[in-house]
Amino acid sequence: MDSPRPIPFTFRGGPESAEGGETLLQHLARKGLPTLQRSIRYHRPRAPFCGIGHCTNCLVRVNGEPNVRACRYAPHEGDAVTTSNAWPSPSHDLMGAVDFLFPRGLDTLHGFRRPAWATPWIQRVVRRLAGYAPVASTTAPTPSAESGPIDLDVLVVGAGPAGRQVSQRLAEGSQSVGLLDRGPISAPPPGVALFPSTTAVFLPPPRSGSERRFEAVALEDHDRGRLFRARTVVVASGAYDASLLFTGNDRPGIMTAEGALSMAPGDRAPPFHRALIVGGGARAAEMLDRFGAHVEAMAAPGAISPEVVRRASDLSIELYPRTLLLSALGRGRVRRARLLARGGGPEFSLSIDAIVLAHRRLPHNQLLFQAGAQMEWRGTAGSYFPVLGEGNQTTVPGLLAVGEVAGFADGVAAEASALVAADAILGREVPPAQERGPDAPNELEGYYRELLRRPDGWSKQVVCACEDVLLREVRESVARGYCGLEVVKRYTGLGTGLCQGRYCLPDTLLVLSILEERSPPQVGYIRQRPPVIPAPLSALAELPEPASEIPASGTP
Amino acid sequence: MIQASGPPDRIAIVGAGIMGLFTAHHLARAGAGPITVVDRGWLSNGASGRNGGGVRQQWETRATVRLARESVETYRRFGREFGYNIWFRQGGYLFLAETETEQRHLAQVVSVVQSEGLDGRLVKPEEVPRYAPGLVTSGLLGGSYLRSDGTLYPFPALWALKEAIIQQGVDLRLGTDVTGVRVDAGRVTGLDTSAGVLPATIVVNAAGGWSRELSARAGLSVPNQATRHEILATEPVKPFLDPMVTRLRDGLYFSQTMRGEIVGGLSLAHPPGTQAGMLSSPAFLRAMARALVGILPSLRHLGVLRAWSGFYDDTPDGLPVIGEDPRLRGFVHANGFGGHGFMLAPAASRRVAQAVLQEKTDLDPGLFSVDRFLTPGTGRPVEGLQLG
Repeated sequence: MDSPRPIPFTFRGGPESAEGGETLLQHLARKGLPTLQRSIRYHRPRAPFCGIGHCTNCLVRVNGEPNVRACRYAPHEGDAVTTSNAWPSPSHDLMGAVDFLFPRGLDTLHGFRRPAWATPWIQRVVRRLAGYAPVASTTAPTPSAESGPIDLDVLVVGAGPAGRQVSQRLAEGSQSVGLLDRGPISAPPPGVALFPSTTAVFLPPPRSGSERRFEAVALEDHDRGRLFRARTVVVASGAYDASLLFTGNDRPGIMTAEGALSMAPGDRAPPFHRALIVGGGARAAEMLDRFGAHVEAMAAPGAISPEVVRRASDLSIELYPRTLLLSALGRGRVRRARLLARGGGPEFSLSIDAIVLAHRRLPHNQLLFQAGAQMEWRGTAGSYFPVLGEGNQTTVPGLLAVGEVAGFADGVAAEASALVAADAILGREVPPAQERGPDAPNELEGYYRELLRRPDGWSKQVVCACEDVLLREVRESVARGYCGLEVVKRYTGLGTGLCQGRYCLPDTLLVLSILEERSPPQVGYIRQRPPVIPAPLSALAELPEPASEIPASGTP
Repeated sequence: MIQASGPPDRIAIVGAGIMGLFTAHHLARAGAGPITVVDRGWLSNGASGRNGGGVRQQWETRATVRLARESVETYRRFGREFGYNIWFRQGGYLFLAETETEQRHLAQVVSVVQSEGLDGRLVKPEEVPRYAPGLVTSGLLGGSYLRSDGTLYPFPALWALKEAIIQQGVDLRLGTDVTGVRVDAGRVTGLDTSAGVLPATIVVNAAGGWSRELSARAGLSVPNQATRHEILATEPVKPFLDPMVTRLRDGLYFSQTMRGEIVGGLSLAHPPGTQAGMLSSPAFLRAMARALVGILPSLRHLGVLRAWSGFYDDTPDGLPVIGEDPRLRGFVHANGFGGHGFMLAPAASRRVAQAVLQEKTDLDPGLFSVDRFLTPGTGRPVEGLQLG
């Protein structure tokens, strides 16, 4: 946004001119919501959903290179951007017929076994459907850009308010601190080594012995590998907006709050006119403040806070608390939503052109799992959080967690958690660990219980959008005795796509807890396999030589 | 074991991986039992749910080629027989040699394979891109290729066998840890488990990476050694690679799955034992990325989606251990497959079942019995092609 000079590039062969610094997605969203992608199995139309580089809905090809995310990529002069996995175009794709012809989905677990003679042909056809695009045809040698490891006293992951706070206090305490963040780092604390556009993707448990330290693999600008070494790591990776399960939840026009914000930077208008906001808390209020003029109604799985009610009535926006979102309808883009008051009531429908999900935030807790920190289920938030001792230390010595990822959702509490952690690292006196308040089941558990009681119907309920896994398949898995998230993942393939399960596992966990009639922690979770986001082979190849062996202490 | 008179054997199989499940299936079909399969984890938690899905028939030892050929036949029929599609795709296996020694090695393999009636052949470096487009051939001296080798999806094979044995009346106990092997007067009498005592006159050790620990619980020392191996999968791309590619120098192997992902690993020196747990390491990610980018530069922008690890159950000579242990009556080995359990299980498990039933098997005891490690001797065959 700093440079107004237009950047010429081509999109699907046509000339385009982007503003300097804006992402391809922001550029395309000026003209409305773009459909950039078809899903992998059923070629369902998909438009940008998450806006933060995790989902599979905005993959394009740039100069032949596959799987580039439009929300993370800013066009360069002369770039040729094309779409993939759709013919003739993502909005009108012939293969989309598969979706209509198989309303109940395709059973690749049991189907396609006969006749024997046809096996090679069946495999050839099915294989063709795999993947989004061919590999890049370029064979230029990889430039060797290996750089040495970056040694620090403390590595802080995430430059939100908590991460900045902890970095600043540690730097004042004359520690060498490195602060990294996926995006730009605003209001950088003085005396701290900054690593913007850098994502920590792998944090194995620390090496044991006299030289006990962490080795963290990170990606800079998505394509350069970095190795950080630090005695202490503070995870302040924050949270993200969750998905929601309902019929047609993968239609173009359905997006998270982050997705909406990513397409409308600054005060630019969003690519919708009559949105349904889902949620009734602080995040939903934020959406009202930002997009009020473009909001048709608000519906929440639970109660709607008085704060939101007041603002909505100022804008004369209709409110539907304790309401089930049954389905999103529309060929291509969502045009209507069908809803139902919880606990029985008439079904009704709303004419809308977008659904913005702002009903819950989930912690970016993958690194904590990887590092072997003991995690505990908290029903109120519906996720796993690190077990914290004095000074916000996890059960892994030298690993601390602060801010939203540690369960301090409120801004004041988040910054306080950061100061306590910094003091603990500096060896200062810290208050004793806080007792957690009483836990309660997640409000979505009751919500999904009501939703699951309804018949499946003939429309697809997509649990995992990356791999096109349907709710029907999850039900079948449990019915056949394949229970627990780890096994259901392997039985159905859900959670094995590009988003690494961020948008399907949390909801599937609640659904399984209902289907299996046991609590979410009994259903379990999956082992968080590295890397946290897909890491290009070239970036991993140029990592400096890490320690040859991993630690003796394993995670359970 | 199956005696002319007296009660039937109570059979306990430890390990619900591909070997244990297949063995239970063969035994149940033969009317043996009662049969119980015990596993400490959930289905697919061990190496049977962690492997790269390769199934090959290229081996140095003739007996292994025969087991592998029979296994390929089983996997070809598997979907029609068991109701689950394992997507066994016969896209071939391509081995790559970079030195004269490796080249001689492959020539030996191909001659054994051909004499067993399989279509294996040596490949010149310039022919390599025909099988694997884009592969860098500089430094290659040659390779070997067998079209009917292939890859499959391991998971559905486990689901199918689980459902088959339950239908056959086998008692499957997952999440049950074996804490001891009960022995009386030189023969097995049962298992101590986390869910109580399980009486058994036959115990089959199909515990994969944990087989050494189980044998030790029965007071038997074996040379099996668990070694951790890591593996990764990339983002999916459109199909371009048919065979599994394997390089002798560093054990690099990779193939493209039906879903389009590149899945593979390579051999790194890790300390033996299962204590470290099934973890991934930055060292592996780096080494594997270097190897893949080096051999197929077109992959270099491809993202690694996930990495994981599992345990091989290695033996000193690279051959598995099949049959009753002469030191303890009723204790039957079905282990030591060194990362090749999935590809040999259909045939090997039939021999395990025969051993349990005290039927004559066609296996050379000098090659597969645990005896070979108990008596000193030299000049015994070694399976040299342990990679991939």
